[in-house]
Amino acid sequence: MTEQKIRFADLVEGETAPPITMVKEVGRMDWVAYAGASGDFNPMHTDESAAKKAGLPSPFGHGMFTAGVLATSLTDRFGIGRLRRYKVRFVRQVWPGEAMIAVQKVVKKYVKDGENLVDLECNIVNQKGELTVSGEATAAVEA
Amino acid sequence: MAVDKSYIGRTTSRSRVTIERGPVANFARAVKDESPVYRDPGAAKSAGFARIPAPPTFGFVAAFWGSFPEQQPPPEAGMANPFVEVIGALARKGGIVLHGEQEFVYHRPILVGDMLRGEGKVVDLYEKESKGKTMTFVVTETVYRDEKTLEPVLTMRFNLVHRSA
Repeated sequence: MTEQKIRFADLVEGETAPPITMVKEVGRMDWVAYAGASGDFNPMHTDESAAKKAGLPSPFGHGMFTAGVLATSLTDRFGIGRLRRYKVRFVRQVWPGEAMIAVQKVVKKYVKDGENLVDLECNIVNQKGELTVSGEATAAVEA
Repeated sequence: MAVDKSYIGRTTSRSRVTIERGPVANFARAVKDESPVYRDPGAAKSAGFARIPAPPTFGFVAAFWGSFPEQQPPPEAGMANPFVEVIGALARKGGIVLHGEQEFVYHRPILVGDMLRGEGKVVDLYEKESKGKTMTFVVTETVYRDEKTLEPVLTMRFNLVHRSA
């Protein structure tokens, strides 16, 4: 395993880490870049007139873009290559100008098959505290 | 209204997917990860990886980049496409299609240079009534295996929802 950034002993069950602003003000160019990088060219995410024709005020972000940014907050904290599981549920759209803030909470610490594991709740909320993507993750952490 | 449960268990796809350095670096940038581990083979080695690893959600887009046509297995009779046949048919009548949930189970990190064999299958198909609307869910599971060893690398579960108008 690799790139250890946090120690198992430092994680406390029930503790929420300080929120981290991953993106200060998300915008259309972020979604253009994600569309190109992912192959998701759904016009709802990048085309102003298509979004408006569909009755929306503007394009909104790909759910998987937000999920990718949430995952970045996990590898930032635990190191790359330590996730064993990651699951996301798409709750609410992300609109232009919003902040994308990662909030992580340790749900459980345990040892399984000789490996130290931590189960987390991890979410992205906007600057109003509205939940946009709700997630769970399991990471392997050295002592 | 009933949904056709006979889709459950049927294969939706088989693929061979190549993992390359450019798409991985570009994707890392798109999801706001600046780590040199995704960009520099030396940094990847220092971090303990044999080759550059891919970010956690890259598996969801790997096929977009790495399914080269001449490398794909021949199409098979009997493969199901519930996205078109079930969700697509519902969407033509109205309503909206949403990505409900996505799950990744990591058996080992995806690495640049991997050739992965993918197989998708339908694992669930169900309906729910919610606030006067009918929600139809299709859940597929895709497993990517290392082509050389056939050991699993990544399992993904994709939950697509149609909500009636």
